[in-house]
Amino acid sequence: MIRFDAVTKRYGPRAAVDAVSLEVRARRICVLLGESGSGKSTLMRMVNRLVEPDSGRIMLDGRDIAGVPPEALRHGIGYVIQSVGLFPHWRVAQNVATVPRLLGWEDARVAARVDALLDLVGLPPDRFRDRLPHELSGGQAQRVGLARALAADPPVLLMDEPFSALDPGIRRELQGALRDIHAGTDKTILFVTHDVEEALLLADELAVMQDGRLIAHGRPGEVLARDAGPAVRHLFGEQTLAFHRLGTLPAAGAARPGEAAAAPLLPEGATLKQALMLMLEHGTDQLAMPGGGALHLSDILAAA
Amino acid sequence: MRLSRRAAGVLAQALAFLLALWAAPHLGWLWGGLFPEVQRPVWDQRNWFALLGSHLLLSLGAAAVAAVLGLAGGILATRQSGRRLRPLLDALFSLAQAVPPIAVIALALPALGFGAAPTLLALVLYACLPVLRGAVAGLDGVPPGVLDAARGIGMGPWRGLTQIEMPLALPVVLSSLRLAVVLSIATAAVGAMAGAECLGTPIVVGLANNNGAYVLQGGLFTAWLALLADRALALLLPARR
Repeated sequence: MIRFDAVTKRYGPRAAVDAVSLEVRARRICVLLGESGSGKSTLMRMVNRLVEPDSGRIMLDGRDIAGVPPEALRHGIGYVIQSVGLFPHWRVAQNVATVPRLLGWEDARVAARVDALLDLVGLPPDRFRDRLPHELSGGQAQRVGLARALAADPPVLLMDEPFSALDPGIRRELQGALRDIHAGTDKTILFVTHDVEEALLLADELAVMQDGRLIAHGRPGEVLARDAGPAVRHLFGEQTLAFHRLGTLPAAGAARPGEAAAAPLLPEGATLKQALMLMLEHGTDQLAMPGGGALHLSDILAAA
Repeated sequence: MRLSRRAAGVLAQALAFLLALWAAPHLGWLWGGLFPEVQRPVWDQRNWFALLGSHLLLSLGAAAVAAVLGLAGGILATRQSGRRLRPLLDALFSLAQAVPPIAVIALALPALGFGAAPTLLALVLYACLPVLRGAVAGLDGVPPGVLDAARGIGMGPWRGLTQIEMPLALPVVLSSLRLAVVLSIATAAVGAMAGAECLGTPIVVGLANNNGAYVLQGGLFTAWLALLADRALALLLPARR
């Protein structure tokens, strides 16, 4: 869906993005993870031509974006940023309707779309439609930001640290909401963050950047494998790498047949990390799997 | 409710001003009492309302031109491509204001002749700077996240400017326009030196003929009009949140 071909961007002598090649497949959430200054935002902002590459090519759905006029290109790409950037003098409904209006949709269609989107992001339209941005909490504002980005139903979403400024509880709520929305739509999402936990929670694919270069790319389990390079180890934390890796492995894959009598039951779809936490919580070394089977502590150790 | 009460107040002041303007020629006892040595203390060379009309035309016309120039300069200076011009524009507009209007008129007389033209030029140069500064401050005050979102969402530069930036900059821009109008009204009186008819005419005639009563009447109405304009324009500004 999105393909970067040896893309480079220099600011003065420094390469903010250095010959990055990366393919993001359709309908995936690809998380660009890196410390600040690693070039992840710059790389993302080249997709909607807010930044122009010095060399290299970016293909969107098979088309070289250098040949698409920036405004037309951006109408087809949702854009969500950390500072939200709602237009403070416009009500919520107007903010959400920005791109449909730019595209010349008729009023009735716009109004229906706005209500559907506010529902989708969990804001009852009747209560929120006519509010001004300063009347919203941070989490509500970013939900509106997400609705605005989704308004014209673009196939691609760019999200630049969208939840980084929010309190942890609100952040987890929005991460969950994004996961649900992604599952219910067919969006390809490029998501920039420096938060390791957030990256692992959201990523179908993980692309790790450092000093403008792509140093690892793949499914989270692959990136966190035992042979991970020193830069990845440093980013995820030398001591906690194995723990994060457990978070990428489904518990069902490590379970054994048989019964675990009187052991706590693991919820459906849990990871090995959740399994380990449950064992610690209950002081036991065995868990019952949903739908039969058991998981022993030794299974977790073997899988990690 | 609050606005209409303020509007009524301004309207009452405007009526008082017009009433005073009408009454001035009939107040010979007052002007004569204040200036007993002056033989003809009542200004009657020209109708006060005609002077008021040409004064307003001069000053508002100059303020309008200054607004266009200042806004254009402010918009240019805040564009990505125009940022380098900002120090130059600021220096240019500052210089324009630094030269006293009376000097501008004197310098422009040989080229533009007597009358309204040199006065307009002097007023425009004088009133540009506050508008430029206001426009730059207002446009600079738009949060960067809002600009980034507007661009990233696919608003073109023109739409972004007219639908997002200008509305958000408006309170600051309006107060700078108010300042430009008041400056212009207060300063327009010097136009009388160049022979432009205005509320400054009695001042200049009075100075030339050693007639303090004329000077007082002209000065009084010029100052009063400027204060009145300041009050009236304050109505246009939204109350601060």
